[in-house]
Amino acid sequence: MSLVIETPPPHGGRLEERVVRDRELGRKLAKGCPVFDIKPTLDENGVPVRNVYREIMSICYGFFSPVEGSMKKAEVDRILKERRLLNDWVFPYPLVFDITEEDLKNLGVTVGDRVLLRIKGKPFAVLDIDEIWRIENTEELATKTFGTPEDNPEVVKEPFDKKMPGWVIYKSLNPVVLAGKFRIINEPTFLPPFDKYWFPPRKSREEYARREWRTVINHQTRNVPHIGHEFLMKNAAYMGDSEPCHGIQVNAIIGVKRPGDYPDEAIIEGHQAVNEGGYIKPERHLVTFTLWDMRYGNPLESMLHGIIRQNMGCTHHMFGRDHAAVGEYYDMWSTQILWGKGIPSFGFPAPITDVPYGLKIRPQNMAEFWYCPVCNEIAYSGCCGHDKEKEKFSGSFVRGMVAEGVFPPKVIFRPEVYKVIVKWWKEFDYPFCNPKYVKEKEERLEVDLPDMDI
Amino acid sequence: MAKSIAVLLDDKRLGEMKGSELENKVQMMFGGQLTCFILEMDDDKAKQVMDAFHTARVDSRGFITDVPIAFNRVLFEEIAKTKSLGAEPIDGVMARVSEIQEFAAKEGEYLPVPEL
Repeated sequence: MSLVIETPPPHGGRLEERVVRDRELGRKLAKGCPVFDIKPTLDENGVPVRNVYREIMSICYGFFSPVEGSMKKAEVDRILKERRLLNDWVFPYPLVFDITEEDLKNLGVTVGDRVLLRIKGKPFAVLDIDEIWRIENTEELATKTFGTPEDNPEVVKEPFDKKMPGWVIYKSLNPVVLAGKFRIINEPTFLPPFDKYWFPPRKSREEYARREWRTVINHQTRNVPHIGHEFLMKNAAYMGDSEPCHGIQVNAIIGVKRPGDYPDEAIIEGHQAVNEGGYIKPERHLVTFTLWDMRYGNPLESMLHGIIRQNMGCTHHMFGRDHAAVGEYYDMWSTQILWGKGIPSFGFPAPITDVPYGLKIRPQNMAEFWYCPVCNEIAYSGCCGHDKEKEKFSGSFVRGMVAEGVFPPKVIFRPEVYKVIVKWWKEFDYPFCNPKYVKEKEERLEVDLPDMDI
Repeated sequence: MAKSIAVLLDDKRLGEMKGSELENKVQMMFGGQLTCFILEMDDDKAKQVMDAFHTARVDSRGFITDVPIAFNRVLFEEIAKTKSLGAEPIDGVMARVSEIQEFAAKEGEYLPVPEL
């Protein structure tokens, strides 16, 4: 048996690519269609929590393969019950194109119709309607999406509520779902600084082949990297097959985040500062991103991350403590439970890589790195025996230091990374996401669109 | 279980402590690259802080974090005034909650950019 690991196939067997690059064909597809201007989903205070345009982008560029569009009711029901699409492939979350009853009335559409979707007032995509259905109770949908302590006792510790951003997203959905396949007909262009880091699955797979990276380990991020993150990346990448992984892919999640997280611009440029500073040399490191409004669903989010990064051509994925988590709703090791032994109540009696129609990307389940004054180094918790003396890289402690304007020592942030934080702090008058940043970002988005007369 | 809170010390703050007994209580973190005071408080005091400031949370180290910046400033002022790392400075802070909350409301929109 060969120990050599090869690039895994896309989830579902082939990449879904739903971008029409022939502009004349795009015009023809949209001609005469009723028009809908995409709006952000708002919470009860009117603050944006999600923009479905990001889901359309991630579906049409293949990040979420094999998903092709907004889901039918039967598909959502199956996901909530056993985390599988109707074609049996595992998938964690309902993805729906939701509108109000008034929107539906104004559109005047029915099954079989096509809708032209616009962003920033310009044609963007079309949706071919296969089914129109209604969410009877969005709070119930939100709760079923993430689980309950009673139904999912292996990992859910506390009932979800309005402090959990993902729960708020589902709770805030409009009641009418237009289910059907999307096609992007007017390809957006990314605004700086995002433009340099756009590697959708087809392109990332080509890039890794060009770089001769047979093994690639992914680092999930929604953070500006501190030294603990950097050491996680460097050490997790020792895993490979007969040699360490050839490449480290950083994939930042770009979209609405909770207050207190860093702005997207600082996250992506902060990781690039690690690369350009030579802390992980560019030949072994690539910064990329995916558009997605984080649900903070810990094990479920890790399943989506596995799908995205497998589709991008990664062979391995590092998972740490409290992966993509907020609060203490989930057990802090829930993600590693999913990938290490499975979560039966979510439909996985075995690791998610060992079930039919499961994932092919390999987990690298890591504990954590801390500073140890006895070892006098950044130490791995699985090795360092100085539990009493350890000093953890607490994200909130680091944020507090940043907010007070204290220049962090090199043992916490690389100076190049901290300068990126300050650069975007000047731009937004604030170092972290706050309602003002989120509202302005939802007007600006990450993209512009070329003019297109229909 | 008792909770802790770290008050970071820069050169200016260290200067204010010069000659006091608290100078001996300055703690080094991260191999001496950060200096701070660490205050411990019992559960009742910790609960008062958590209840007064909705952003506050206890992190994986058992430290109270995510308090307003104004909280940290006032806490240092109270430490400097009382020359204590006991209950007195926290009591002083809790007596100034409305002042802190007033500043905290503005902190959500704007924080001064540090000079590099």
